[in-house]
Amino acid sequence: MVDLSQYLPILIFLAIALAMSAAFVFLPMGVSRLTGTHNPTANKLTEYECGFPAFEDSRSQFDVRFYLVAILFIIFDLEAAFLFPWAVSLDLTGWAGWVTMMIFLFELIIGFAYAWKTGALEWE
Amino acid sequence: MIQAIAFYMFAVLLIAAGTLTIMSRNPVHSVLWLIVSFFNAAGLMVLVGAEFIAMLLVIVYVGAVAVLFLFVVMMLNIDFAELRAGFMKNFPLGIAIALVLLAELILGIGAYGAGVLELGTPDGSAAPLLGRSNIENIGALLYSDYLFLFEAAGLILLVAMVGAIVLTHRERATAHRGHQDIGKQNRRRPEDATVNTRPEVGKGVQL
Repeated sequence: MVDLSQYLPILIFLAIALAMSAAFVFLPMGVSRLTGTHNPTANKLTEYECGFPAFEDSRSQFDVRFYLVAILFIIFDLEAAFLFPWAVSLDLTGWAGWVTMMIFLFELIIGFAYAWKTGALEWE
Repeated sequence: MIQAIAFYMFAVLLIAAGTLTIMSRNPVHSVLWLIVSFFNAAGLMVLVGAEFIAMLLVIVYVGAVAVLFLFVVMMLNIDFAELRAGFMKNFPLGIAIALVLLAELILGIGAYGAGVLELGTPDGSAAPLLGRSNIENIGALLYSDYLFLFEAAGLILLVAMVGAIVLTHRERATAHRGHQDIGKQNRRRPEDATVNTRPEVGKGVQL
């Protein structure tokens, strides 16, 4: 069973971060309402773009090439995820485990070389 | 005590974020709520002692899959009004799928409660090693008993990579314009690159 007490600092940090971010968002809102400066008008609530009205949606279409980069990132991310249990259990698996991981890495190096050679990693 | 508080906090936030994922009108907001729910699920996984799954949730799901979702949402030029128009039409189908999932959950929990299913019987080679964390246990099993399946996973990743490149990569006409050939640069000598000339007065330089 996992010793959960080692995660307590992370939980405390999380609680502090949550409290701080909530304070930064809601404190100015509350203060402005209590001191009477809260007075929104239509002009105040428009998005500010150097003084002229926004003429374009902030959402623009992404290039399909981002998708390829994201897929390659997922694959190498999974590879990295396999490395963690391998690294901590190497004393139990021994040379067989080491060789297994080297073969696995070699398989992905082939893929990496292919990606490099076809120019999938190049932007322009 | 702290565990119980943390559990209820994560569980409530997970359900709230999951509901908002479905309910929010903007797909980009849906993806962001999905990321929040992944983080809370990771917290729950830590609480039940599955540290490795929690780490995978954060690294793979939040780090990669959610980003991929975001790219897909941003890449498709979705017309939000049109997207919302089909809601009532697909509503019965959605309810039907939800009911099937609910029935499966009830059946599974019922079978487990009646003692029909045996989950993770600790005998033989799959018994956890005492005094080791569960990441070490996973590693000890994955890289010894399930070595060939692990290599197969590597091959599947390789195929996925090649497939993604073949499907989405297009060679562009300008792709080879700016290539740097370092060997060629290093082979170039000063005597190839510079010329001494002594032009006569009134005449230009011919290169």
